[in-house]
Amino acid sequence: MNVLKVSRWTIAAFILPCLIVYVGLVFIPILVSLYSGLLDWNGIGQSTFVGLDNYVKMFTRDAVFWPAVRRTFTLAGFSMLVQVPIALLVAVLITRFVRRPNFLVSSYFLPVILSVAIIGQLWKTIYNPASMGGMINQILTSVGLESWTHSWLTEPKIAIYAIILVSLWQYLGYHILIQFTGIQNIPSEIYEAAKIDGADGFKADRYITLPMVLPILKISIVLSFIGSLQSFDLIMVMTGGGPAHATEVLASHMYNMSFLTMQYGYGSAIANMLITICLIATVLINVLFTRLEKRYS
Amino acid sequence: MTKKKMKWFGMAMTGVLAFSLSACGGGGSTPTNNAGGDAGTADPAAASTDTKEPAAENITITFQNIYPDASDPKNQMMKKIVDQYQKDNPNVTIELDSLNTDQQKLKLKTQAASKEVPDITVVNPAAQMQPFVDADLFAPLNDMVEENGLKDTFQSGILDYYTFDNNLYALPDGNNIGVVYYNKKLMEQGGVEIPTTFEEMIEAIKTLKSKGIQPMVLGEKDTWTGSFLFMNILLRTNGGPGFLQDVLDGKKTFEDPAYVDAITAFQQLVDAGAFQDGATSFDYNAGENLFKTGTAAMYYMGSWATGGIETAEVSKDGNVGVFQFPTVNGKGNPDEFMLAPGSAFAISKDSKHLEETKAFLNYFMLNFPKEAFEAKGAVGIAQNVDGDFAAAGYSEMAMNVLDLFKKVQGGDLAFDNTMNPAVTQVHLSGTQSLFVEKKDAAAVAKELQAAYEENK
Repeated sequence: MNVLKVSRWTIAAFILPCLIVYVGLVFIPILVSLYSGLLDWNGIGQSTFVGLDNYVKMFTRDAVFWPAVRRTFTLAGFSMLVQVPIALLVAVLITRFVRRPNFLVSSYFLPVILSVAIIGQLWKTIYNPASMGGMINQILTSVGLESWTHSWLTEPKIAIYAIILVSLWQYLGYHILIQFTGIQNIPSEIYEAAKIDGADGFKADRYITLPMVLPILKISIVLSFIGSLQSFDLIMVMTGGGPAHATEVLASHMYNMSFLTMQYGYGSAIANMLITICLIATVLINVLFTRLEKRYS
Repeated sequence: MTKKKMKWFGMAMTGVLAFSLSACGGGGSTPTNNAGGDAGTADPAAASTDTKEPAAENITITFQNIYPDASDPKNQMMKKIVDQYQKDNPNVTIELDSLNTDQQKLKLKTQAASKEVPDITVVNPAAQMQPFVDADLFAPLNDMVEENGLKDTFQSGILDYYTFDNNLYALPDGNNIGVVYYNKKLMEQGGVEIPTTFEEMIEAIKTLKSKGIQPMVLGEKDTWTGSFLFMNILLRTNGGPGFLQDVLDGKKTFEDPAYVDAITAFQQLVDAGAFQDGATSFDYNAGENLFKTGTAAMYYMGSWATGGIETAEVSKDGNVGVFQFPTVNGKGNPDEFMLAPGSAFAISKDSKHLEETKAFLNYFMLNFPKEAFEAKGAVGIAQNVDGDFAAAGYSEMAMNVLDLFKKVQGGDLAFDNTMNPAVTQVHLSGTQSLFVEKKDAAAVAKELQAAYEENK
């Protein structure tokens, strides 16, 4: 601040517009949502205050809620424990073995900039039954693995995994880009020094890349976790939460309750749960990484 | 130094203020605002005619509708009537807000929550418009519908679905029935006749299936499609209409044999392989397209599909016919149909130009049947049409559908038009689950009954 020689007032004034927009679009809606979570309200007419009834219903009587929570966490788990490590591995390999990596990284990034609606339609066609021209099933049939063919998006037990795969595929490039940039920022002198000391190849990755890329890894993990909790569009496009709620996640359940069944108050209660889970998880991940970083620094 | 700082600070604050004010201005303008900001295209026309009729105030009426597709005859019809009206009433500008069905439903809910309902909007009949009526958002149209004899143009009884406590709140653009379309060529190839009982239908499906012909198609991702068919089965197993009303009146429960039998019958359809693989991932349009491209022998849908099927490849040489849904377990009367009174136009109670809006809607609905007839879109509209359909070049299939309309001896409304949205969703996903899982019919019924009691 001394370096910049600007007063606190000036700083406040420049922060203010953004702050107003942020408070107006994030905090106030959250507060409103906290309140409407206590109402029995269809979104249009009269509302009645019901206290914590919505939450009692959510935890005890809603047959869709807990499975939706489980699926949301499954998605988040796959995203954090499969997608991010693969992204890190790819980023390390690209840095080490590819001389002009930009083209590759851009290619991996391509699905991220495609609209989810397009991706959903694309994969729906890929997953289609063979009789409707589904690619996966046709390939399986042509190599004699007919017993492996499934109606991927309509069998309740596997539909959610089919969607998870698409979501992992779509955002892999995003995480590769983040990790790749993180690795690029590690000064090469460190590697050179390590080489002299005899640490090369994967040993260098273990003791240099991994610790030094940790802060970036943290961002990746937080992003992938929160992104998974909010996953909604892909599910809406591909299955709409069906068949019979088999692919319902928290966000889609919230949407269905608020807008299709017109239980706006109950939908808000689910939204509040989602916010709470997001907050708790972010705090947990931060604590975990602070410890890790301490260990390595 | 400090002075300079203060100056900067002042400028920044002014900027913030201006920004927030302009933001307020944008959000606060009501749809009926005739200041011109949001009606740029049409305003000059209204202004130029100012001199001719200085007495009349220039007004803008917002007309929310679900005819967004410019190639759809209904869209062209609407524009034609609106243009004519603007010509006759130069002080009135009709601003169209054309959205597709789902978008419109969401937009209206959002607008209703902030009490900014457009002058004219679109609602669905009976239970679906109940919350809006309860929230006191619409103006009663009792007096308006009597003017110029508009009421007499509507088919008898149809307005009841839009009437609450003796107040009429909306005027429908359609009135449809559930029918089975069939592909004559494929039925012939499979060597099957038009089924007159459900049992024959199952046999026909098995025969078609064994010959490699897709018996039926359905876009079940949208869930109401399967429900519509299911409700027709229920209309039969119940031996007549009124099952849901009996449930509402407490005379029956969903665990009644009629409902359980309907589930069992529906499962027979699924087990016989009636529907295409992966039916639950097909949305309504994708499902219908399978029939339109001639890949399926039968298709159960509301008669609103007639126009689309008529113009599709499959209808060449009168290849598509229609038949009534058959009896189930020997029960029911095929002349009772699933009735689908259409979406309807309602007027906002808070409209700034209530009288003018009523006058316009009156004009619109009076001209609707004539224009629809000319645009070959008069099959399944809610009003009586004068005119010879055959002479006007309507297809044989359209004529068949019209003949079925003449047979109607009552029937039931779709589930979501009778029950509240919460119960409806449980029913819809319960029906969808029949496509993918082998479930005990009684258990499905029990689940629905529990949901009904919870959300009564």
